[in-house]
Amino acid sequence: MIPAAFDYVAPTTLDEAVAALRDAGDDAKVIAGGQSLMPVLRLRMADPSVLVDLGRVDGLRGTRLDGDTLVIGATTTHHEVRHDPFVAEHARLLTEATATVADPQIRHRGTIGGALAHADPAGDLSAPALAVDAEFTVIGPQGSRTVAAADFFEDYFTTALRPDEILAEIRVPLHTGWAARYEKFHRVAQQWSIVGVAATIDTDGGTIRHAKVALTNMAPVPVRARTVEDALVGRPATVDTVRAAALHATDCTDPMSDANADAEYRGHLAQVLTRRAVTTAAGL
Amino acid sequence: MQLEHRLSVPAPVDEVWSALLDPERVAPCMPGAALTGVDGDTFTGTVKVKLGPVALTYKGTGRYVERDEQARRAVIEANAKDARGNGTVTATITIALTGEGAHTYGIVGTDLTITGKPAQFGRGMISDVGGKILEQFADCLSTKLGPDAAVPPGDGDAATPVTADGASAGSEVSTPAPSTPAAPVGETAPVGETAPVGETEPVGETEPLDLMQYARGSALRRVGPVIGLVALVVLIVAVALRRRA
Repeated sequence: MIPAAFDYVAPTTLDEAVAALRDAGDDAKVIAGGQSLMPVLRLRMADPSVLVDLGRVDGLRGTRLDGDTLVIGATTTHHEVRHDPFVAEHARLLTEATATVADPQIRHRGTIGGALAHADPAGDLSAPALAVDAEFTVIGPQGSRTVAAADFFEDYFTTALRPDEILAEIRVPLHTGWAARYEKFHRVAQQWSIVGVAATIDTDGGTIRHAKVALTNMAPVPVRARTVEDALVGRPATVDTVRAAALHATDCTDPMSDANADAEYRGHLAQVLTRRAVTTAAGL
Repeated sequence: MQLEHRLSVPAPVDEVWSALLDPERVAPCMPGAALTGVDGDTFTGTVKVKLGPVALTYKGTGRYVERDEQARRAVIEANAKDARGNGTVTATITIALTGEGAHTYGIVGTDLTITGKPAQFGRGMISDVGGKILEQFADCLSTKLGPDAAVPPGDGDAATPVTADGASAGSEVSTPAPSTPAAPVGETAPVGETAPVGETEPVGETEPLDLMQYARGSALRRVGPVIGLVALVVLIVAVALRRRA
């Protein structure tokens, strides 16, 4: 099907974009790569009257270092994030996770900001963003504000973004030199995660110094596996440590049952994938 | 599929019961719903559902097929169709209320059938979202039926003693008056100041009370789109989309 008719605005500055969104009122939608939005429009499951395209807005795309923070522009494509040297060096988990997103065509159009704002519980970037304690710069008519990843994901497909706001930047504290691994389980190639585990570990001479683990699709929002982290930090980096820690993967989770897997199986997957992800990230 | 949710409103069961039986009082409290007609036991309406990028408009009818005054039990049959052909929803909703002093508890059972894209979906998300909608509904009812509700003159005695604090996180500032009718206070609902009927204009209230101001008197508020009772369907749809990979 083709989408219902809509007006199209392509601002070139962020201020213009915010104004366009505000002027269009309730019935506007932001579009970046359109990899989630266009199917919805084509199926006529939405008919916004105005699309505000962020693709031409200056300064929203690309990465840079800002002191001890890596800044990723919201309209940076998955492909760019995946091959970005700053991301590889300072936030390797994002490199790993982005590589598993969909397929090359989608990765060349889809954007990191779009994926995060869409907040699909099975989306592969939300858990990694949560794991690395990312902060999001959000711009609206009232100005700009920063939202921590932990506060950003509120519910299924629901974020802290107000209807007149735009996600502009993803700010990640540097995790320079940390190893990382994103384990994603799916039955069909290029499918969304049935369960995914994001792990990034910093070891120091055989001991786990820091560990950050987050789960995809184990709840309406990404879940930070704090008890797994607690069971890893300060311990020797061994297979046994990881095995014991991975059992905590189901703590504080609320997986759903659907056509792909039931809740119990998801719990099992979470434990297995956590063990695998942490094992790899710990260099074992 | 079968879903079950619980309802909790800090108002006496009689009031909640009569509110529930009146589609014109239910609709303004149901997120995203708009009533287009009432004819005896049957009502028609639309429910606009917006979640993430998806926005569906379901049009349908509902009918009170059973009302048991003694047992405070009602059964509503509803069916709706998406305006753009994205499927249908049929539901048989059974509500059973029990009153405990100035508080009402309800069990809402839903027998839900979904066709079209939404059909390939998991009950977990539906149940969660259904629960949240009911919570919003209960919060809204609480505001309307609680003591801060400005009851229009001649609309019956709404002397509920306990402040409906559960509506929103906003702080409630009610003006207490000495002539408040006596009623048991201090139920499980948060203890607040009692307020006389039809007189108080709480200051510093958050959204839910504004709703009340519009719903005062005979003017009934038609609520705009937020998340509708069939929001769950939207989720299903959105989730189903990814299955197409």
